[in-house]
Amino acid sequence: MLALAPDASSRRAAAGLASPSSWTGAGAVGDLVWGLCAGSGKDPYQTVVDAAGPSYRCSCPSRKFPCKHVLALLLAWANGTVPEQDGPSDYAHAWEAGRAAAASRRTAAAQRRAAGGRDDGGAARRAGQRARRVSAGLADLQTWLRDQVQAGLSDAAAGGYRHAEAIAARMVDAQAAGLASALRRLSAIPASGDGWPGRLLDEYAQLHLLARAHDRLTELPHGLEAVVRSRVGYTTSREEVLASPAVTDRWQVLAARDVLDGPVPARRVWLRGRDTGRFALLLSFAAWGNFGGNPDAVLAPGTELHADVHYYPGQPPVRAVTGARHGAAAGPRPDGARDAAAMLADWAAALAQDPWLTEWPALLAGTPGAAGGRWHLVDSSGAALPLLGQESLWPLLAISGGHPVTVAGEWSPAGLTALTAWHGDRAVSLVSVSPDSAPPGPAVPR
Amino acid sequence: MTTVSYDDLVAAATVGLSHRPLRVTGLTGAAGEHAGALDCGDQAAALLDAAALMVAARRAGARAAAGVACPLPAAEDTAAELPARAADLLEQARLADPALLASLLATTASLGYRAPAPLLPVLLDTAVKDRALRVPVAAVLGARGRWLAGYRGDWQQVAGVAVPGTAGPGTAGPDTSGPGAGGPAAAADNPAIWETGRRAERRGYLAALRARDPAAARDLLAAGWSQETGDDRADLLGVLAPGLSADDEEFLETVLDDRKASARAAARRLLARLPGSAFTRRAAQRATPLLRLEHHGRRPRLVATRPDRADAAAIRDGITARPPTAAIGPGAWLLTQMISAAPLAGWVRCLGLDPGQLVSLPVAGDLRVDVHAGWRLAAIDQASSPWAEALLAVPEPGQAVQRPPDAWPRDFQVAAVLSPPARAARAAALLATAAAMPNALTEVRSCPEPWPDSLAEAVIAALRRTVTSAARLGTAVTRAGWPEELASAAGRSLPATGPADYAAALARLAHVDKCPPHWSLALHHGAATIAVRRAFLEEIR
Repeated sequence: MLALAPDASSRRAAAGLASPSSWTGAGAVGDLVWGLCAGSGKDPYQTVVDAAGPSYRCSCPSRKFPCKHVLALLLAWANGTVPEQDGPSDYAHAWEAGRAAAASRRTAAAQRRAAGGRDDGGAARRAGQRARRVSAGLADLQTWLRDQVQAGLSDAAAGGYRHAEAIAARMVDAQAAGLASALRRLSAIPASGDGWPGRLLDEYAQLHLLARAHDRLTELPHGLEAVVRSRVGYTTSREEVLASPAVTDRWQVLAARDVLDGPVPARRVWLRGRDTGRFALLLSFAAWGNFGGNPDAVLAPGTELHADVHYYPGQPPVRAVTGARHGAAAGPRPDGARDAAAMLADWAAALAQDPWLTEWPALLAGTPGAAGGRWHLVDSSGAALPLLGQESLWPLLAISGGHPVTVAGEWSPAGLTALTAWHGDRAVSLVSVSPDSAPPGPAVPR
Repeated sequence: MTTVSYDDLVAAATVGLSHRPLRVTGLTGAAGEHAGALDCGDQAAALLDAAALMVAARRAGARAAAGVACPLPAAEDTAAELPARAADLLEQARLADPALLASLLATTASLGYRAPAPLLPVLLDTAVKDRALRVPVAAVLGARGRWLAGYRGDWQQVAGVAVPGTAGPGTAGPDTSGPGAGGPAAAADNPAIWETGRRAERRGYLAALRARDPAAARDLLAAGWSQETGDDRADLLGVLAPGLSADDEEFLETVLDDRKASARAAARRLLARLPGSAFTRRAAQRATPLLRLEHHGRRPRLVATRPDRADAAAIRDGITARPPTAAIGPGAWLLTQMISAAPLAGWVRCLGLDPGQLVSLPVAGDLRVDVHAGWRLAAIDQASSPWAEALLAVPEPGQAVQRPPDAWPRDFQVAAVLSPPARAARAAALLATAAAMPNALTEVRSCPEPWPDSLAEAVIAALRRTVTSAARLGTAVTRAGWPEELASAAGRSLPATGPADYAAALARLAHVDKCPPHWSLALHHGAATIAVRRAFLEEIR
């Protein structure tokens, strides 16, 4: 139960609030538990928990989810100190009813989508409206890109740091959020040193390709259409993904990486199925960098999760969410490490399916070695991939000691970012991932 | 038909097609077969199409590099890696408490373990920043850690420090294999390092050679002596300390005439450690006539002579004419220095009394402070526990208080050369005297571990007295800082295992009624530190 706690201090606080004296009017019907807990506010906080979910609501202003009141109420209930009642209190009933209504709306929407095409009029109208907006926005983007090439990229440098801001804003209006963030990212390129025109043209060309592909969206094969739609900014809800067929496997958690330079902090967790050999990417977003509440974000490299994984539409299937979980344990060192040539062949095949891919999972065996002041991972055939990032190099070199090691990481056209290395059977994270709980304080005895 | 490369596209796009039109119809490389897909109606669109094709071809065509050499592997380590759970405790201590980290590292080394490979980079980084951790970290590097440190100049400062109780500095030893030619770094046994390396690297090379072949190291240093800078001369001479022998005397004598004062001082320190060297014989000859025993009635006393001046030979041997403060006369200062330079054993031999008897003798005139200052300096230089014990047992002359430490070493400096049991006994006695508490704290903290039970009990007793008196007397006493510091020193150094549970003892003190909260916190922290050290020991025993 306390595993739900977002951090250690919540756990401690909850344990302190779990005594019956902290609660008034607490009760339970089946798995629904409620109670009032006096806090620093004028009115006591209203706490309701559905222990089956678990899902919960509390009127306290805490930004931790779940808050200490929810945890404490659950603890008290588990301890048997919450009396069983005939019916829920008013606020519990209201919350329950609201949830039921939302659930039925979601179910109905999913059924409509599943039925395909037989949308009610409103949804079809909204979808058509959005498609028209996106198409108009992409036409503007194509014009803008052609104008950049006509006028010269050196104008972009003169335009300053935010040269793409106006067109990015236009993409937001056009409901093409994916394009908007891609445009905002490239505003830093003119200041990135020698060779920037080449790098800027790379990005313009990729956007141009995306816009051209979108022009022919209906002619594209189904998988490519999904890729284009997601790159443009159409989102797929978690519920829709969970409704797709599952791949059940013993998923080894290979690596975790925080991407903190975007508008919202993101974490990428890479999995590999022991039986299927398939990779999966669990992508989580969290405001304030607190990933603790997301079960997909807290998976630690070196563990193994027996679970259903559902892939997002698109090709090659990489991004996924976990559905039903059947168990978790510490895992062995993954077998199936490849050499550089095999990984690059996979990368080329993946690009053929999605030319906009920016990174690709790599599970490699190799030895770090240096040439010309640059570090590489050298496989048994002598093929070498350049290593990116100083942070991960030194622990990787220490673990290797000049011998081959198993390394998991991300491949990108610039090189390999090593994220995890196996020291014997122990997975060692080579990059720091922001802590999910309180940072280690003074060492505390067991 | 215009067949273009990607660079052509970039060049045209940078200037702008309005300034430099470019009609793209053909493409180089793998993208060439798809040139038919280019937009023919619009030059700008055709350029972007072409760029998209070539970017895709370049990204998908990524190739691995060849010809990158792997480094020579690190030598096999004989010591075992710290078990995983103990390594976790080490990492927590690294983040929370450097002193606890030092203690756990010392335990690791003393039980024959080495640091786990994944922790080596952070430990080396920590020791680069915190000099106090260099020796403890160097002691747990193992062959893997020294191999790794070879790749970074700053890490070599750590790997190169001498670890007490081993043959030489961390880089020494036949098991050290350097990184291979592919690595940007240096091997400790690569002679090119001596010619071109940084000072720390050259020092490491010389130290390794000194451990293998002391004479070769000395001759190498002597051969290039006149080309070294003054700072290098002073620094590198210290490398000769391990393996010092009479064979080194001739070279060291020549350094006494060096231009650099710190090099001369380093040579004097080494020569003073050579028994029977001409240098020590000269010092003894200068000092012996300055003190004689006089039987004045029934009680003997010492009569000291203040030299008038220092001759050129004395100045060459390090005697300075100018006293450190005006309160000390020139003659008195010469007396102190000449006594301090002479071997202490000589006094016992020529005056026929043991150190305890000699220090108790009255000294004629007002010269007791000058004679004792010389003996104190000599006791420290020559690390003589019996003399230190004798000197600390007699009352301090009144004039000593105003003297700077280089003319009157403080008690804790003299106590540092006591044998561990004598040091612990002295610290325990100081703890029993409430007035001496800040001094006692300094000496208690520097007592080598493990603390004997007598000292441990004295620490607990002193803390108990303080806590109970604070409860009685109120805030006046609770402003003193030393109880907190003593509690944290206790946490680091009290025995973690054994019949007495000192963690429990500290925790009990924290719960004494009306114990001031900041002391209570420090006592709890000390108890927790002991518990971590105990858990660490349980993981690796």
